Amino acid sequence: MVDDFHLIELQGVTKDFGDTLALDNINLYVRRREFVTLLGPSGCGKSTTLRIIGGFEYPTEGRVFFDGRDITDEPPYRRRVNTVFQKYALFPHLNVFDNIAFGLRIKKVSKTDISARVKAMLDLVGLKGYEKRGVDQLSGGQQQRVAIARALVNEPEVLLLDEPLGALDLRLRKDMQLELKNMQQRLGITFLYVTHDQEEALTMSDTIVVMKDGRIQQIGTPKKIYDEPKNAYVADFIGESNILPGVFIRDELVEFCGKPFRCVDKGFGSGTTVDVVLRPEDVAVGAVAEESMLTGTVLSTLFKGVHYEMMIDVGCAVLKAHSTVKQEEGSRVGITVVPFNIHVMSRGNAPDS
Amino acid sequence: MKRSWFAFPYGLWMLLFTIVPIVIIVYYAFTIDGSFSLDNFRLFFSPDIIGILLFSLWLAFLCTLICLALGYPVALFLAKTAMKRSAMLVVLFIIPMWMNFLLRTYAWMSLLEDTGLINRLLEWVGVGRVKLMYTENAVLFGLVYNFLPFMIFPIYSVLKRSDILLEEAASDLGANTLNVFTRVTLPLSLPGVVSGISMVFMPAVTTFVIPRLLGGGMFMMFGDLIESQFLTTGDWNFGSALSLVMMALILVSLGILNKTGTSANGEEGALW
Amino acid sequence: MKKLGLIFVILMLVFLYAPIIVLVVYSFNDSPTRAVWGGFSIRWYIELFHDKSILDALYVTVSIALIATVASTIVGTLAAIGMHSMKPGMQSLYVNVTNLPMLTPDIVTGISLMVLFIFAKFPRGYWTMLLAHITFDAPYVIFSVLPRLRRMNKHLYEAALDLGSTPGRAMRQVILPEIMPGVVTGALLAFTMSLDDFVISYFTSVRSANLSMLIYSMTRRKVPPTINALSAIMFTVVLALLLIINRRDARQAA
Repeated sequence: MVDDFHLIELQGVTKDFGDTLALDNINLYVRRREFVTLLGPSGCGKSTTLRIIGGFEYPTEGRVFFDGRDITDEPPYRRRVNTVFQKYALFPHLNVFDNIAFGLRIKKVSKTDISARVKAMLDLVGLKGYEKRGVDQLSGGQQQRVAIARALVNEPEVLLLDEPLGALDLRLRKDMQLELKNMQQRLGITFLYVTHDQEEALTMSDTIVVMKDGRIQQIGTPKKIYDEPKNAYVADFIGESNILPGVFIRDELVEFCGKPFRCVDKGFGSGTTVDVVLRPEDVAVGAVAEESMLTGTVLSTLFKGVHYEMMIDVGCAVLKAHSTVKQEEGSRVGITVVPFNIHVMSRGNAPDS
Repeated sequence: MKRSWFAFPYGLWMLLFTIVPIVIIVYYAFTIDGSFSLDNFRLFFSPDIIGILLFSLWLAFLCTLICLALGYPVALFLAKTAMKRSAMLVVLFIIPMWMNFLLRTYAWMSLLEDTGLINRLLEWVGVGRVKLMYTENAVLFGLVYNFLPFMIFPIYSVLKRSDILLEEAASDLGANTLNVFTRVTLPLSLPGVVSGISMVFMPAVTTFVIPRLLGGGMFMMFGDLIESQFLTTGDWNFGSALSLVMMALILVSLGILNKTGTSANGEEGALW
Repeated sequence: MKKLGLIFVILMLVFLYAPIIVLVVYSFNDSPTRAVWGGFSIRWYIELFHDKSILDALYVTVSIALIATVASTIVGTLAAIGMHSMKPGMQSLYVNVTNLPMLTPDIVTGISLMVLFIFAKFPRGYWTMLLAHITFDAPYVIFSVLPRLRRMNKHLYEAALDLGSTPGRAMRQVILPEIMPGVVTGALLAFTMSLDDFVISYFTSVRSANLSMLIYSMTRRKVPPTINALSAIMFTVVLALLLIINRRDARQAA
C-alpha cells in the first residue's frame, strides 16, 4: 500500500507569527498513500503545519515540496491537495449538490460529468438523495460527510483534515474514525490528519507525529510511539503514565524511590538524572510479599468498567495502577513492575532529530 | 489574504470629511483672528451662556426622565408579550420613530396651536382656550414625543434577550414579584437603560429645531445658540468653541454612562 | 396587572399616532384652514404635484438618497471587508473613526462640514449635500456588514481557494453572498437616513433644499395645507420602507 515515495516534504519550516513562534524548524515527510496524523495539544503547531501545506499560511522560513516540486510559493487554488476544515466551512448559501460541485464547476467539468461525480461521492459518504438539502438542515455528522465529499470529488492526491471529528459526539466520532480509515484505504489517497485526541490517532494512523510548542517530539507507528515513547512528554500524552524522577546507575539499572531497579535501557551514562515512566497497566498490585519491589497504601479504588483504577501511595510518589482485581482502600499492598516495562527517558523534552 | 487596503478609500474619505472638519473646528475654537486665544472659552463662562447651557441640560434631563418613566413600562410590556403579538406591537412603536422628525414636530404644532384640536376640545368641554404653543412645556412635550421611541427600543431589546428563565429561577428561590423586578429584571436591563438614556439625552441637548418650532425661538437652547453663532451672528470662533464644549459634554456623559451600565449594546443599539 | 399594562401601551400608541393621524385627516380637508372641515378632497395632493418648489425638493431628496446609498454601500462594504482582515489595532482605529460621526451630534457634524466647504471655497449646494450624506451613511453600512463578516465561518474563503477559486472569484462566489443580507440592510438604513435628514443637509447646502429643509422653511412662515398631503405621502413611504426592512429581518431570523 504505502510506498516509499515522499509525496510531501517539509524542510526546515518555521512560522513566526510575530508574538509567537508557531513552528520551529519542522522537517517532515509524508509517503504516498500513507495515513499520517499530527498529534498534540492545542497551540502545538499542528494546524499551522497543515495550513502551510494547504497554502493558507506562508512559512517564515523553509520550503514545502509536493511530488518533488517546490510549492512554497504556490497559492492554495493551484495545489493538488484539498482540505476538510475544522467546522467544515460548507457554503451556507449553497445546497449539498452545489457545495460538492463547487470545485468541479471551477475546473469547468461538463454538466453531465459533474452530476455523475457528485452522485458517486454522495453514495460513497452515504448521503444518497440529499442533493437538494440546504447544508444547515443537516446534522453535524452529515455536514462532516458533505465536507469530505466536497474535498474528495476533486480527486486530490492528498487530503488534509483539520480536527474533522472534533465537533461530533463520542459515538459518532468512533463510527466516523472507522469509516474514514476505510475510505482512505479504498481510495488509496494520502491523508494528513490533525487531532488532539490520542486515541483517535492510535486507531487510524499509519504514522503519528507528536508535536509540542512548534516542535516535533517523535515520529513513529502508533505501536512504537505507545510502547517506546521518546520522552516523558510523549509518554504522558499518549496513554496514561506514572512519571517518576530517577537516576541512571548503569546500563540496565535505574534508581527511583530510593531503590535500584532492573530495566532494559542502556547508554544514558551513570549518574544521569532521568524520567522513569510506568504505564498504569504495567503496575502489578498484590499482597505484600518478599519479591515486592515497593509497598504502599491504597488511597482510592475506582471501578472503570473493565478494570479498577487505584491510586497507591508508595511514599515517594502516588502511583496509578490498573488491575482487574480489586484492593480495598486503606489496605497495604505490594507492587512489582517487570524490567521490560520500566521505561527510562532523558529529562526534558528534547526534540526528535 | 491581505484585503485591508479595501478600507483605504473609506479611510481617506473619513479623514477628509470627518477628521479634517473637526480639526478646523478645533482651530477656530482656539483662535481669534488667526492668533491663539482662549477668549472663546472664557466667553462661554459668562452667566448668559451658562444659563442657556443649564436650561438645555435641565430640559434634556426632564425629557430623559419622562421618557424613562413612560418608556420602561412599555418596553417591559413588549418584552413580556407573547411572541407573535409583540412583533407587531414593536413595529407599531418603530413607525413614528422613522418618520421625518420635522413632520412629527409640525404635527404637534397643529395640535397645540391656539386654534388647534386640543384647544377646541378644551373649549368644547368648557375649560376655554389655554396657551399651549410657544411655552417651555411645549418644547418639553415635543422633545418627549420625538425621543420616546429611542428609550423604548434599547430597553426592549435587552429585556428580550435577557433570560426570562432567570426570573423564574428567582421566583423559584422565593422572591416575590417586586423582589424579582428589583433584583433580577432591573439589573439585567441596566445596559439597555443606559443606552436608552444616552440616545434620548444626547439629541435632546443638541436639538435646535424643536425649541425653534415649538418654543417660537423664545427659549434658547444650546443647539440654537451654536446654530445662531454660525448662521446669524457669524462668530465662527465662539460657535466652534461651543461645539467643542458640546462634544466634550456628550463624550463625558457617554463615558460615565458606559461605566455605570456594564456594556451598553454597541452594534445593534447604535442603529436605533 | 396585565390589563393595566395593555391600557398603558395603548395610551402611548395614541400619544405617538394622534398627531400623525390628524395630519393625514387634514390632508383630505377641502378647506385651506385647519379651523373648519370643508369636506373630503384630494386637492392638496393635486396642488402638491404642481408646486415647483416641492417637486424640486422631492427630486433633490430622492436623487441624493439614491446616489448616497449606492456610493456609501460600495465604499462601506469594501471598508468592512478591509477592516475585517486588519490587525486588531488598526481595526479598532477604523471602528473608532466610524463611530465618530455616529457619536458626534448632528449639529456639530453639519457645522464642521459646512466650515470645511466654506474653507475650501466649495459652493454649498447639491454636491456638498451629497458628500455629507455619503459621509454619514457609510458608517451604517459598515456596522451592518461587519457583524455578518464576524459571524461568518472564517474558513469559508479558504475553502473556496482550496477548491480552486482564485481570490477574486472566491470573493464574488462565497463572501459576497454571505454578507449580502447585511449589505442590503445597510443600504436600506442608509437610504432611510438620507431621506430623513434635516440637520446636516441644512448646514451643508444653501442652494438646494431637500424636503426636510423645505418643510422647515415652510413651518417658519405661513404653513400651506399642501404640507399635510406631503406628510401623508412621506409617512406612507417610510411605512413601506420599514415593512420591507422588517420582513427581511424576520426572514433572516427564521
